[in-house]
Amino acid sequence: MSLSEHLFQDFIAEKRYMYLVDGLKNTVIITAGALILGIILGVIAAIIRVQHQNKKNSSEKTGPVLFILNVIVNFYLTVIRGTPTIVQLMILTFAIWKSGQPIQVAIVAFGINSGAYVAEIIRSGIQSVDIGQTEAGRSLGLSERMTLQKIVLPQAFKNVAPAIFNEFISLVKETSVAGYVGIQDLTKGGDIIRSQTYDAFPPLLAVALIYLVIVIGLTQVLNILERRMARSDIR
Amino acid sequence: MISVKNLHKSFHTLKGRADILKGIDVDISDGEKVVIIGPSGSGKSTFLRCLNLLEKPTEGQIIFDGEDITSSNVNIDKVRSKMGMVFQHFNLFPNMTVRENITLAPVLLKLKSQDEANEEAMALLDRVGLKEKADAYPSSLSGGQAQRIAIVRSLAMHPSMMLFDEPTSALDPEMVGEVLSVMRELADEGMTMAVVTHEMRFARDVASRVLFLDQGRIVEENTPDELFDNPQNERTKLFLSKVL
Ligand SMILES: Nc1ncnc2c1ncn2[C@@H]1O[C@H](COP(=O)(O)OP(=O)(O)OP(=O)(O)O)[C@@H](O)[C@H]1O
Ligand SMILES: [Mg+2]
Repeated sequence: MSLSEHLFQDFIAEKRYMYLVDGLKNTVIITAGALILGIILGVIAAIIRVQHQNKKNSSEKTGPVLFILNVIVNFYLTVIRGTPTIVQLMILTFAIWKSGQPIQVAIVAFGINSGAYVAEIIRSGIQSVDIGQTEAGRSLGLSERMTLQKIVLPQAFKNVAPAIFNEFISLVKETSVAGYVGIQDLTKGGDIIRSQTYDAFPPLLAVALIYLVIVIGLTQVLNILERRMARSDIR
Repeated sequence: MISVKNLHKSFHTLKGRADILKGIDVDISDGEKVVIIGPSGSGKSTFLRCLNLLEKPTEGQIIFDGEDITSSNVNIDKVRSKMGMVFQHFNLFPNMTVRENITLAPVLLKLKSQDEANEEAMALLDRVGLKEKADAYPSSLSGGQAQRIAIVRSLAMHPSMMLFDEPTSALDPEMVGEVLSVMRELADEGMTMAVVTHEMRFARDVASRVLFLDQGRIVEENTPDELFDNPQNERTKLFLSKVL
């Protein structure tokens, strides 16, 4: 077979390119869902950790609720960061949430996973905001919560936006293990073509290229974002 | 009117307990301007920060407008909204315009609509000659402008008392005057003020009383003329000989 015949077999015949298209769709859905869930979990976990740390430093008594929440968060961070993503995904799919719709289960698994990393990013972001900001907010009469929401978190997010974006970029690649639990993501799509045509190189190369284009594209966006933010600092 | 009784503050540090305020008693009546002076580390900032509960007093009472604000069932946020605080490093919110800095608290606390708050912000900015900065971001301001706006931000809450912690110490010398003149105006309008400062000229002109704080205690207090010209305590004399 000539190269063009190979390519025809791999991508055009029987509309095999659709494996890549549908796979990409699933990869995007899983990544986006996991990112949103990860940020929500990450923010919550980070706030709990910072609150607990602050109360400890100010030698005030930590309430029992905060204490327990902090224990849960620490457990979460330790377990998630101490075990492989693929194992977490398999445990959730095959042991905990067997009745779940696979894409949803994957979103939750990757979201929980990502949240543990986002939590540490956000925590460092919150701690990078000068304590004087909180004091200014509180001395205007704003509650702890309003101060966090309106003053500290927006600045924290701004400080760590590049780091969160990087987490987003690595998440795109991490979801490539979804095939292990029977999800047809981009990687799995390429692999299916390979198994049908016994031709490994073109479909897998195509998969690699698509990831690369996405990552390069997102990195470009990140660069623009960082330049914009740098400008708003000088203003 | 604020009345401080036997105020103690200790910090727990790695080296153990540090007693910073060791029994402060002071009354500040409405419209009074009290200037607090003293050597570095004597507890001036800690004292001011206890007044609006940024630091939690270890012992003692603070009665503000008839309410003991050190008791556990007091609404701290409400108390703080009536006590403006101006910091050495301004602490403007860098991600907000000047207007947003000023209107944030009154709007969030539902004291005013955004429109009303904007209107008042412009009036206040006009008073300190910074109307044209309403849409500027803090990073574009000089130190003197930033501090005047920080004062305005506090005033937008209509506090019944203002606390100033070395408001001009972080400023280039040529900008000290513009901030002090805003504070003078405020004093003339009858605002109750507690001011930590090294500006002795300001203290002499504006203060109704000067407290000399040393090692966590008020060692001497008097009218500015008496305290500066005729100090009684040895430590006051020593301190004044260095700063005057
Ligand atoms: N949060 C804290 N934890 C531990 N020690 C503290 C804390 N805040 C202040 N101190 C200590 O309390 C002492 C008094 O500090 P404070 O800031 O009140 O002094 P000050 O009179 O305002 O001095 P300066 O003129 O330098 O501003 C210092 O020795 C300081 O190290
Ligand atoms: Mg100080």
